[in-house]
Amino acid sequence: MTLRPRRGTTPVPPLLCRWDLDKTYLRSEFDTLRQLWRAARERGADKVEVPGVIEVLKGLRAAADRHGRPITMLFVSASPPQIGEAIRDKLRLDGVPYDGIVFKDQLQLLRRGKFANLREHAGFKLGELFRGRAASGVATREVLFGDDWEADPVTYSVYADVVAGALSVDALEPLLLRIGVDREVVPELCALAAQVAGWGGVDRICINLERRTPPAAFALFGPRLAPSFNYFQTALVLAADGWLDPDDVVAVAAGLVERAGYTPRRLENSLADLVRRRFLSISLAHRLSQPARRAGLLPALPRQAWLARLRAMLARRGAGAPRAPLPGPLDYDAILARHRSPARGGDQEAGAR
Amino acid sequence: MPVIAVDAMGGDHAPEEIVRGVAEVSLETDIDCLLVGHEGRIQAVLEEVPYNPERIAVLHARDAVPMDEDAHEAMRTRKDSSLMVALQAVAGGRADAIVSAGNTGAAVLAASRCFSLLPGVRRAALACVHPRLTEYPGQDPLALLLDVGATVHCEADELVYFAVMGSAYARRISKVPNPRVGLLNLGVEETKGGPTLVEVHRRLRAQPMIDFVGNVEGNDLVRGRADVIVCEGYVGNVALKLLEGVSEVLVDVAQAAAERKLVWRVGLRLLSRGIERVSALTDFSRYGGAPILGFDKLFIKCHGRSRARAVANAVKVAAKAVRDRVPEEIADAVGGLR
Repeated sequence: MTLRPRRGTTPVPPLLCRWDLDKTYLRSEFDTLRQLWRAARERGADKVEVPGVIEVLKGLRAAADRHGRPITMLFVSASPPQIGEAIRDKLRLDGVPYDGIVFKDQLQLLRRGKFANLREHAGFKLGELFRGRAASGVATREVLFGDDWEADPVTYSVYADVVAGALSVDALEPLLLRIGVDREVVPELCALAAQVAGWGGVDRICINLERRTPPAAFALFGPRLAPSFNYFQTALVLAADGWLDPDDVVAVAAGLVERAGYTPRRLENSLADLVRRRFLSISLAHRLSQPARRAGLLPALPRQAWLARLRAMLARRGAGAPRAPLPGPLDYDAILARHRSPARGGDQEAGAR
Repeated sequence: MPVIAVDAMGGDHAPEEIVRGVAEVSLETDIDCLLVGHEGRIQAVLEEVPYNPERIAVLHARDAVPMDEDAHEAMRTRKDSSLMVALQAVAGGRADAIVSAGNTGAAVLAASRCFSLLPGVRRAALACVHPRLTEYPGQDPLALLLDVGATVHCEADELVYFAVMGSAYARRISKVPNPRVGLLNLGVEETKGGPTLVEVHRRLRAQPMIDFVGNVEGNDLVRGRADVIVCEGYVGNVALKLLEGVSEVLVDVAQAAAERKLVWRVGLRLLSRGIERVSALTDFSRYGGAPILGFDKLFIKCHGRSRARAVANAVKVAAKAVRDRVPEEIADAVGGLR
């Protein structure tokens, strides 16, 4: 089963997917120095992925091929390049179809005495995002994947607003400084931003709620950013956007059931949660979940399910409208007030870690 | 895994504290919860706290029973209340047990309409757990008191059934192989209390399936002579509220005394850990809830003032009871009595 391609038929715009690595693709544990040391010494076979992520990555590629859509999948990681071999091994073992991977050169920062920059990743990621987009072209559509441990929500949103033309390059400079980006790299970032400003095309920011951060913490980021508790939810959002087909959602659900111990009830609850958070309409949720129900991965609907759906729709009248996009750039004053900058340390809320 | 239906709109602090309690459970355990109530209000609370959506389903109910509403009036006018919808979910097999901190009278009455009484049982009993002295290490520091308000006055037959049901519940939940059962009375002599209690005493004494320790007096409630204490709802409710009231007054008196004299303040400071322990012992939030016994399905009733911690503990108690097959144990015990 395939959904109708969302945008016109010719030419199909290319899709660029950029993925964070730790806590988004890998279930990395480095809350302590010991864990950090262990993570650095792990081989590819020792590394564990977040359940369902492999199927999402494969599904994106498969759906793109099905619809004749060029796709590029890149990993952008703030981890040092020294772990690159293990990561590539892991990606190869998982059969993940990726096109490239960029690491942050921590050793160079150490050599230059830039100790404060070791933990500041927003500047590094923004630079890579701008460069990657400039190389990709104006017509490209983008989906970004991150998690709630680092600064991904803020970094990705700033990038998306610049690319959308909602955040001017002039306004970018003071914002970068407030985020905690190294003053020395700000001019370079602004120059990179100027190349792609107004190109548009960042359709979705998917945030994996690895820390179970309350979804309300992301309300300020608008509906473009979809926080998901598992990759089944991410797959449903991507299918709703047209980047995956319902059969790809089935593959993600099957992966979670077979390899992560998920049950049909847990998947059903995840689906319902996404509907309640208004990332899916009831009718779309019903349509996307049909193949998974037929495959026995979701519970079969009771005979009078249509009646329950109708009742639920009536109950949600008014409150159930899809989340409306926020006009203009996001309110970064409010975001930074709530999610304190990593450069300032302290106890931060999700989104700026 | 058991599914526990939770009345999200019942209680003084509903739905906020109820939903928070369920959110806690979703992160700490593998218990599945079915939150029943106004979907929009439930979701608004959920999104503000950490939770695991894989463990939580929401069932919309457009109405709720106010805490002070007459139970019969509530049953007549609020058929779509969260309490009724949750009970129907359990009765229909969508959930295995229900937890509610709502209107107690309505809870008992609604349960009697949605659930079936076990064969032979004529009235349900509302139980509560209360702290008592322990006599040996590892003994459950809580005893079960029933009935505390489901009925006002009972006949002998009903009190005998209460004893059997309470004993079966304690056997599973407290892991006491032979719970000691006492009859709350005016004195320990078997002739005390009037014809009904004398008759109950005689019949319990003759029951081989019950370890009956005879009559117990009010001061025995906290002494630990019995693991299960049986009484009429009127008496049980007074005893329960008295225990709670004494605990609260103790803390209030201590605070008031501390404000009056420096010497008292110093003395209370020295005693503070002891007072905290007494206060913790009588803190109902630690124990979650207690069952309404007598139905074919399990109903855990929480205190109306329950906050998130109490609700979370009540859900855990309900799940444990389902896993330990408590309703079946009680049905077997009642069947044996007949």
